[in-house]
Amino acid sequence: MAEYKIENMAKKIEMLRQTATELKRISGGIQAVDRNVDRILASIKMLEINISDLVGTI
Amino acid sequence: MDSGEYWNPVLETLPREKMQRFQLEKFKKILNWAYENSPFYRNLYKEAGLEPGDIKTLDDIGNVPKTEKSMLREAQGVDPYPYGTILSVPLEQVTEYRQTSGTTGQPVYHPETWQDWEWSAESWAYALYAYGYRNTDRVFLPFGYSVNIAFWAGHYAAEKIGCEVVPGGVLDTEARILKMKELKATAFMATPTYILGMAETARKKLGINPAKDLYIRKITAAGEPGACVPATKKRMEEAWGAKVYDQVGATEIGHWGFECQAQAGLHVLEAFHLVEIEDIETGAAITEPGKKGSMVVTTFDRFAHPCIRFDSKDIIEWNPTEKCECGRTFRRLKGGVVGRADDITKVKGVLLAPTAIEEVVRDIPELGDEYEVVVIKKGDIDDITLKVEIAPDFKPNVKAVEPKLIQQLRLKTGLRYNLEFHDYGTLPRYAVKAKRFKDLRHKE
Repeated sequence: MAEYKIENMAKKIEMLRQTATELKRISGGIQAVDRNVDRILASIKMLEINISDLVGTI
Repeated sequence: MDSGEYWNPVLETLPREKMQRFQLEKFKKILNWAYENSPFYRNLYKEAGLEPGDIKTLDDIGNVPKTEKSMLREAQGVDPYPYGTILSVPLEQVTEYRQTSGTTGQPVYHPETWQDWEWSAESWAYALYAYGYRNTDRVFLPFGYSVNIAFWAGHYAAEKIGCEVVPGGVLDTEARILKMKELKATAFMATPTYILGMAETARKKLGINPAKDLYIRKITAAGEPGACVPATKKRMEEAWGAKVYDQVGATEIGHWGFECQAQAGLHVLEAFHLVEIEDIETGAAITEPGKKGSMVVTTFDRFAHPCIRFDSKDIIEWNPTEKCECGRTFRRLKGGVVGRADDITKVKGVLLAPTAIEEVVRDIPELGDEYEVVVIKKGDIDDITLKVEIAPDFKPNVKAVEPKLIQQLRLKTGLRYNLEFHDYGTLPRYAVKAKRFKDLRHKE
């Protein structure tokens, strides 16, 4: 089994979340930004489920 | 096994001890979420004197009150309408409506946020990838895209994997088969009843032999037992010349189990669920193979309508061997869901699971796919009738089949039946949830 860089990936995923959240914060309420960020955040959550939530367990 | 054969090689091969630690953390998280955000769960736990912080080990989880479908029904229909007090996110975050099929009564309403819907597709992706679905597949979806969840998540999971998805929603069965042929579809998803029904329609009405004239190589079977009944699976695989993979799930729970290509039991999707098995009569935990029980399941990371220690009534049993040749460490069930606690009933004092009758009927090649069982009361005595059809390839020779059927029924179910042999094609055909077992005793 290959060695996977779980912690490095988790850090990048956290950066994605921070970037998406910041984008929504400065959107000025533009729906075309907010709603697409919500979808991005949902996909980021799947990355967290698959990778980030393992940090501390393995 | 190469890591490219897994959707997520890390989670799917996690050693047991680490998986248990992972599951405990996930359980604590969803329990806390439900306590903080759902009046239904908060009241349930407060009445039981339970605080989320009380759960420190996996053994503590047995102290958390169970839920069941009737409780979900009672909690709905009030504000936030229609989901009621289980809803754990603001109503404006709900982006899709689903409901259970209503097979056992009033449907349960199920809300999906965009994130929860992503979760559904993600969980299905684990299964489809295990079956061998890849971005080179053209996947046909022959189901009515409606309020029931059915294969909706399968559609989005196949897209997520990169497959080309063909929605065959409003087409009738013949048109669906012709479209599958025209497009050279390589995979599809349906209930076992419909998988057999489509093959029959193809042969009888279109003169198409699915195993030779179509291009299907993988079939996802879900929605009812069947792919876990060896005789039924054999019939489906022979009819289509394809591998049939069993998959299990429910609207309230999500998809929770799948077969790998070893087809040696059903893997529980343990990264997304905690599955417990309880003795049907005593409620005692069953942790080892060798005894069937009722499934109690918790779903992780699905937040709008949490599912915590839900008594699904599915009858399951742990698989005797720990390691699967596919390399996944997700624990396996023997066979799959072999029945429902609701369906297992006493007839003439004998416990009867309808799937045992199905295994007998479909293991006799002279009989057709369809059958029906009717139980009535004659005075104080149970009376059970089995209706079968003679398969079209065989001349109606009841005398040749009857002794074999009687013997196998006696052996597999311990009961004697009134037998009725019907002409081929005369028993009811079902497109979705089949109702072949009719217990009319309480109605008389």
